[in-house]
Amino acid sequence: MICLMSRRELKTKAKELAKRYGYLPYMIERYLSLWGQEETLRFLSACEKPIRTAIRVNPLRNDASSTVESLERKGVGLEKIHWLQYGYYSDFKGYSPGSLIEYMLGYYYIQGVPSMTTVEVLDPKPDDIVADLAAAPGGKTTHLAQLMDNSGLVIAVEQDKSRLSSLKSNILRCGVTNAIVLRGDARKIDQTSLEPTKILLDAPCSGEGLIPLDPSRKTSKSMADIRYCATRQDELLDSAIRRLAVGGEIVYATCSIAPEENEYVIDDILRKYPEIRVVPIDIEFGSPGYPNPYGVQLDDSLKHARRFLPHLHGTEGFFMCKMKKGG
Amino acid sequence: MKLELADPILWQSVQTQIDSDFGEGVTRSILANRVPAVIAREGSQSIYLIPYDWMTLADENLDDFEMHHIGLWLGDMVDERFRLGLPILEHLSTLTENIIIVNRLSAESFTYGKSIIKEGVVRLNTTLKRRQRVVVIDQDGQVIGLAALSIDGERLVRLSKEKLVAKNLVDIGWYLRRMG
Repeated sequence: MICLMSRRELKTKAKELAKRYGYLPYMIERYLSLWGQEETLRFLSACEKPIRTAIRVNPLRNDASSTVESLERKGVGLEKIHWLQYGYYSDFKGYSPGSLIEYMLGYYYIQGVPSMTTVEVLDPKPDDIVADLAAAPGGKTTHLAQLMDNSGLVIAVEQDKSRLSSLKSNILRCGVTNAIVLRGDARKIDQTSLEPTKILLDAPCSGEGLIPLDPSRKTSKSMADIRYCATRQDELLDSAIRRLAVGGEIVYATCSIAPEENEYVIDDILRKYPEIRVVPIDIEFGSPGYPNPYGVQLDDSLKHARRFLPHLHGTEGFFMCKMKKGG
Repeated sequence: MKLELADPILWQSVQTQIDSDFGEGVTRSILANRVPAVIAREGSQSIYLIPYDWMTLADENLDDFEMHHIGLWLGDMVDERFRLGLPILEHLSTLTENIIIVNRLSAESFTYGKSIIKEGVVRLNTTLKRRQRVVVIDQDGQVIGLAALSIDGERLVRLSKEKLVAKNLVDIGWYLRRMG
């Protein structure tokens, strides 16, 4: 365990593992500090394995069971993901998951399991006004609309012009009619008069959880990049919370495993806004958040956040935390 | 880009074009209890159908944001010609006789942007005329796009199998091509 490892031993071990697995040494140092040697090795090994493809069937366009039958008739292997209403692990037997006519018709959406889970955690209802603050390419926006049965309102915000067309395409393809798409900096959402009852903030991040999908991430980001992301995430969450309706709920998520982009960001917000509290997630998946990462004591309620980790759950790394705004 | 109610002249033009292509009263059925709204872009106007109470969004303070989409996209007005959007075609297919049913091979080819030739046609109403818009449906009943007839329907039986019957105007493959 890391508590028994001296600083020098940790650096030496990190250097050795970084060389063996092709990472920047600072990353491994952090993993060793966070998890110890045994779990770090399991994590590194899991990141070498592919992530299973998953899809979400879309009842806005076609009856869910009909879509499942239709895909199975075409030889697609489907396995229900037990905590998700519409999620399936999928084996397209070598074919591109986006090549079937059912995909073009919007009968299903190819989506990571953690991303689908964030929307179910937010649990939008048909009369909600929901803001999706980093919306492209539209997986979560279309999922929100699906769970709201195309009622209420989904406000999809995206800043990146080049990603707007994929967002709009997916909204159209999936038969979503309760959404508006706004282009702009979500950090300015607090300057609008909108008052969402629910907010989904899957914040832009360093992508440290995506190593199994994108091995280039092993060497592409520095600690300064993580700090930059954390600052931006803090600004986004701060703005979102100011605009959230009293009694409203927000899910903050990233595809990073770095506590600096997750638990630390939430902890800052909890200190700043006493009316915000972390609420338990009542779906069984993943593992608890870290209220004590690297030995730093943060708000204990962060244990109610959830993490997906490649070596524990067979998914990309992901973090999510649900909060409620009191009066 | 700001949201505005469609002005009556613009809406009249849209209605005239849809009804003349697909039948009197079709636009009113599509509109139902919604209102037509417009987002103006460079060189075109996108028409959307939205619940009436959403027009309050036009009064929201959204100065730092551009609106790019809202509700149900009906289509775009470009150079005074209205181009129907894909999302409306499924509903439209239940309101009109302007339908062409194509076989599996032709359907697949159509979703790659190809037009429809005689050998791919399973059914076409013989009363339809050249240049009329037709909703394209595959043999499983799935709406896959919109085409313009290149012939009068009554001529279909006399055509050789490789002859063009309907020109592809838009198809569901567009969703993927658009994403790049």
